[in-house]
Amino acid sequence: MTTKDDEHRIEIIDTVTITSHANKTLLETLEAQNVEVQYHCREGFCGACRTKILSGDVDYTTDPLAFIDDDEILPCCCKPNSDITIKITP
Amino acid sequence: MKYTTFNQEKTNQLDEPMFFGKPVNVARYDQQKHSIFEKLIEKQISFFWRPEEVDVSRDRVDFQKLSDPEKHIFISNLKYQTLLDSVQGRSPNIAFLPIISLPELETWVETWSFFETIHSRSYTHILRNLFVDPSEIFEDIVDNEEIKRRATDISRYYDDLIYATQLWQTRGEGTYELDGEPYVVTMRELKKKMYLCMNSVNALEAIRFYVSFACTFAFAERELMEGNSKIIRLIARDENLHLTSTQHILNLWARGKDDPEMAEIAEECHEEAKAIFLKAVEQEKQWAEYLFQHGSMIGLNKEILCQYVEYIANQRMSAIGMGTPFDVTSNPLPWMNNYLVSDNVQVAPQESEISSYLVGQIDSSVSEDDFADFEL
Repeated sequence: MTTKDDEHRIEIIDTVTITSHANKTLLETLEAQNVEVQYHCREGFCGACRTKILSGDVDYTTDPLAFIDDDEILPCCCKPNSDITIKITP
Repeated sequence: MKYTTFNQEKTNQLDEPMFFGKPVNVARYDQQKHSIFEKLIEKQISFFWRPEEVDVSRDRVDFQKLSDPEKHIFISNLKYQTLLDSVQGRSPNIAFLPIISLPELETWVETWSFFETIHSRSYTHILRNLFVDPSEIFEDIVDNEEIKRRATDISRYYDDLIYATQLWQTRGEGTYELDGEPYVVTMRELKKKMYLCMNSVNALEAIRFYVSFACTFAFAERELMEGNSKIIRLIARDENLHLTSTQHILNLWARGKDDPEMAEIAEECHEEAKAIFLKAVEQEKQWAEYLFQHGSMIGLNKEILCQYVEYIANQRMSAIGMGTPFDVTSNPLPWMNNYLVSDNVQVAPQESEISSYLVGQIDSSVSEDDFADFEL
């Protein structure tokens, strides 16, 4: 799959591989592709969308306040800045 | 160790643990040992709201239309939430403030408790609208066996910690007999009580509100009791933030990023802490049964509500290293999420509230590019 400069591959373990969108948070990108992710606040403070990241990196659009482990990200307030591999546990 | 409201000894707050270090002296926020609490304070303040801003007058008409089982569900939930916020409006202050050693954590606890008092005030606001005299409802909170059973479990860890702290502050470490009961006061025992208490509070913030929230939002899905639902959305947003704070405290301890002795205790008491959480889950399921004893409401029943409790419990338990003990793979009430989105919360129509608006509202960075199309 070829992507433009500001687009990255998002591989979701055991599901699909999709392409990121520069104007959308990771959560919005996943929802647009009908990938079910749990969420509550959509602002980075509740942690409901906590997701494991296995490779790659993300940039946060707002400082996440919820507790996340070193190998976890909050899709509601981040965008991939490289190709990423994530694992979604519903 | 005697508590002092202004410790005159010079302390370096960056070296103190969250709890049981030296009492806080200067309330300064320019430097923080754990910056997360400062951020939580700012976020919580940006959420400020008053119950009176929400118009609940239409709910009175809706309430009359509810069936008797639905009235039972609605009122019982309000009673239970009143109990929860009565406890939470005072207990973090009384239990934690005397033993906190960081200014940012001290202020976080005060801010947190203050918001719980807003929640309590909102229940009075809702009930005063529904009943000419809501006394009967409030009085039943201390008579109703179902509520009392929960109150016992919610307050006992706080009460234990508070009493042990009082003994330690007035008499120091030692073994005492009071009213025929033996008490062993050591720093290790105090810290254990602290750890269990924080786990009990975490379980409260994590799941104890959610059966009630689900019922409220199920009414709102049918366009009933919408004023009440608006208030509960504001409360849910605050509770999510409070939960974040207790998760941070527990994880800071467990990962040895604060008091090393607390990391040992976290390991030693892991099973006991897990049992506290699981008991709260069990009580919530029993609460769902009590709510639906006279009949269900449209869109919800006991089974689906119990599944939702397990689903939420899995998420909240895994956040603090307790794994996912329940076998629920997808959200049984997906529509709940729409009510828990922070920015959907709107108090007055002219005041569409973007919570990030109040934090750092001025963008002062100007680059040369900003003047690119500017000519004199």
